[in-house]
Amino acid sequence: MSDGTDKLLEIRNLRVDFPVRGGLFTAVRDVNFSIRKGETFGLVGESGSGKTTIGRAIVRIAQASSGEILFRGRRINGRITRELDSEVVQKIQMIFQDPMASLNERAKVDYIVSEGIINLGKFKNEAERLALVEKALLEVGLLPEFASRFPHEFSGGQRQRIGIARSLIMEPELVICDEPISALDVSIRAQVLNLMSELQKSKGLTYLFIAHDLSVVRFITDRIAVINKGELVELAETEELFAHPLHPYTRALLSAIPVPDPILERKKVLIVYDPASRDYRTDKPAWTEIAAGHFARANEAEAAEYRRLLAR
Amino acid sequence: MADGKAVAAGPPAAVVAKGDAAAGADPALFTFAEFDRDAGERIGWSNYSYWRSTLHMFLRNRVALFLLVLLGTILAFTFLQPLLPNQRSPTLINIDPATGRQFRNLVPSAEYWFGTNSIGQDLWSRIWSGTRTSLLIGIIVGVVEMVLGIAFGAIWGYVRKADRVFTEVYNVLNNIPTTIVLMLLAYIMRPSFQTMVIAMCAAGWHGVARFVRNQIVIIRDREYNLASRCLGTPTHRIIMKNLLPYLVSVIMLQTALSIPGTIGWEVFLTYIGIGLPVSIPSLGNLVNEGRLIMMAPELRYQLIFPTIVVSIITISFYVLGNAFSDASDPRNHV
Amino acid sequence: MDGRKPILSVRDLVVKFDLRGRTLTAIRGASLDLLEGETLAIVGESGSGKSVFTKTFIGMLDQNGRVDSGSIEFEGADLAGYATEAEWLRVRGRKISMVFQDPMTALNPLRSIGRQIQEVVEMHRGMSGRQAELAAIELLDHVGIPDPVRRFRQFPHEFSGGMRQRVVIAIAMACKPRILICDEPTTALDVTIQAQILRLIKALQSDFGFTTIYITHDLGVVANVADRVAVMYAGQIVETGSAEDVFYDPRHPYTWALLSSLPQLGVKGKPLFSISGTPPNLFNEIKGDAFAPRNPRALRIDFELQPPMFQVSPGHQAATWLLDPRAPALEPPAAIQAMRARYPGGER
Repeated sequence: MSDGTDKLLEIRNLRVDFPVRGGLFTAVRDVNFSIRKGETFGLVGESGSGKTTIGRAIVRIAQASSGEILFRGRRINGRITRELDSEVVQKIQMIFQDPMASLNERAKVDYIVSEGIINLGKFKNEAERLALVEKALLEVGLLPEFASRFPHEFSGGQRQRIGIARSLIMEPELVICDEPISALDVSIRAQVLNLMSELQKSKGLTYLFIAHDLSVVRFITDRIAVINKGELVELAETEELFAHPLHPYTRALLSAIPVPDPILERKKVLIVYDPASRDYRTDKPAWTEIAAGHFARANEAEAAEYRRLLAR
Repeated sequence: MADGKAVAAGPPAAVVAKGDAAAGADPALFTFAEFDRDAGERIGWSNYSYWRSTLHMFLRNRVALFLLVLLGTILAFTFLQPLLPNQRSPTLINIDPATGRQFRNLVPSAEYWFGTNSIGQDLWSRIWSGTRTSLLIGIIVGVVEMVLGIAFGAIWGYVRKADRVFTEVYNVLNNIPTTIVLMLLAYIMRPSFQTMVIAMCAAGWHGVARFVRNQIVIIRDREYNLASRCLGTPTHRIIMKNLLPYLVSVIMLQTALSIPGTIGWEVFLTYIGIGLPVSIPSLGNLVNEGRLIMMAPELRYQLIFPTIVVSIITISFYVLGNAFSDASDPRNHV
Repeated sequence: MDGRKPILSVRDLVVKFDLRGRTLTAIRGASLDLLEGETLAIVGESGSGKSVFTKTFIGMLDQNGRVDSGSIEFEGADLAGYATEAEWLRVRGRKISMVFQDPMTALNPLRSIGRQIQEVVEMHRGMSGRQAELAAIELLDHVGIPDPVRRFRQFPHEFSGGMRQRVVIAIAMACKPRILICDEPTTALDVTIQAQILRLIKALQSDFGFTTIYITHDLGVVANVADRVAVMYAGQIVETGSAEDVFYDPRHPYTWALLSSLPQLGVKGKPLFSISGTPPNLFNEIKGDAFAPRNPRALRIDFELQPPMFQVSPGHQAATWLLDPRAPALEPPAAIQAMRARYPGGER
């Protein structure tokens, strides 16, 4: 891997707060990572960990309270120019979790897929728009005749592909995939995963793949960041993370993944993560690079311990 | 227990149930069939259209269809009735040519189908005239309230920054009792048809706006709206394309229910004496007149006839509103 | 198979639903034996009928649904013939309990969880007052709720999702059922919590000695819990066998497809095995093998005749014409062969 000169997206000290009754709830704090051009970056955490919030902050549905989000080196959070805004809309797209909820039921597929290019005025005439819609539908394996139908006529997998077509038509560089397959039936998941890999190859896309299921993430990602309660706890290349998990939370998560193999499952030892087990009173934890490209949230003592583990 | 070998061995076939169902089957059937990948995609083929399905579902509701025809007929008849031969003016005081006295309180007869009122006016023509006036007030007010309510309610609900301001304005408006608004306006302007319409719209639009606002708040953060925001869709188009189409059924229901409500208000205002002038027959006026002489059993027809019309209108709009609301919900479109 | 007696026997069950003048056949002739003390997992996609199937065991079909034919034998009675609520109350919650995906549907948000458990204890165990309260607290402790005396007074919203599911399990345990049906009990939970709940149910099973049915779409969960597996597709059971049979030596093309489309078994950088199309519409009559239209290697007969259950080995059955002696030999997909290779033969 190269040394970070090809960073497509960089997140620095990101913090996102939400107003709640009687104060602020900090959904995400002190988050740092960058995504390289062309890779699939996994962001894994449990519900309420803040992983979706990070994705939403990047597409600016959620407001960053502090910190910076840089896209191709330019800051895209906070106040930005109109030109940069429409560039970001075009270049960063999102695929949503629930295909049953993420399509406008009262609009035809034609409108849903071309919504983005209508907004940006990316076509000269109606014929060109129709041609673009047809191309996008074909690219995701749907028939062009589907354009005149309404979403409720389609199955979950087809609906998710409509959602992908709507992002693709914008010719994005970075696609935020927020649990794109977790709401789908098991037999449909492979279709969508295969489609996403194909598109990545043919179009040179970069993915931020947000998920709770480490086993899926392992299959599709190059690097993984694990997030717990709004903070990143560990980041490494995928196989490195699975081979040498350092942070106790990562280990608990890895031990809990169900594997479709009865014999392995029966032998499995479950690790339970207890945040209270660690003493942070004097020695505060920080985001530390333990080995090249392998980060963990650790204090001095833990970092030393982790380095010893890796050296073995 | 199967041994390890069975795992690697070929298919050991012993038919368990149902005997040898395919004993006589053609061996050629045991060959691979051709596979068409696209066949699996071609599901749910249909010419679905939202409005056509809505209409279709609505037409399947016989009761609603009947009431729709009934209401339509009533409304058409209120306009046709004065054009029919031998109709009396609703405001004409009929005088007995023999005695020179008014035909007061005549019970229904072949001459006066619904009888006459206490000053000798023909109740038949008064009821149709009154129904025309009241229905028009109801429909105009319903439509104006709906348009204003949607326009303000949509912005109020979707544009977060506007929420505070709109809520404050609403609280002020809502805290003025409707009766006072109506009374003031009726007092400032002269009692007339226009006054009634303006007064009722002024009193009711913000309620509709709030209703629309609440509905929009419920759906504005659904994923499909977030998706539209990611695609850079401007606010006005999100409202027009994403939000309002979802609210068609509830808004129509609300409007359908508000029409008899408005007629009810008209009756009430006339009752407290600030409604339409006595010279314009309306259902309010008629009910009020009928109520005054309600205690005389032989004169009750003067209350019963207008009440029947009010009831038919109220029930019809209620049933129609619900039927349309059901029909326009795509979950009910099979 | 070790000669254990079936505790519940389902034969040729057909369940139909009436929806706006049309009839949907949700279960199309399913037969199954549940063995005393085992954990059986029923696997299938949404719409396969796995939930409906088990709901017929406790008389909880929706209003428009009915058992059309077939029998469900339990303790000498045929549950399929039960018509009245009074009959069902003898079984539901007493002999057969159910745990649902969303614990909130089973809990009353306005009553303390202690009262809710106590109520069930009073109803089913004939205890009262203080005695029932103590039994309820003991149950809370048994399902791993820390500080049960204090928790007893709290309301459902004060519990996390995992804790709520524990409470629901405690309620299900209150009447010491013979069969516990868990309908996607962990789908709404995080993986770490899921693992704990699965472990809890296993522990309770060895303490109380009940028989468990899991309904799930997650093959990882199946591998974790199941002694035996039944695979459902389009309202039918297409394959049953021990967990080892089904994971290491599956025979039905649908089971192959389901297993080999799992990312866990995929090879990184290569496309996953994928199943095209969608499950059939159960409003329509299905001819032959329901999976045939999605199966690239379907036989011609699959489109003509419904395959019977073929016995692969004792306790392992699959409904596919591939097992007929006349059928051509067909190697399973690569991922399945890799699974076979991983199977340490003989060590069962």
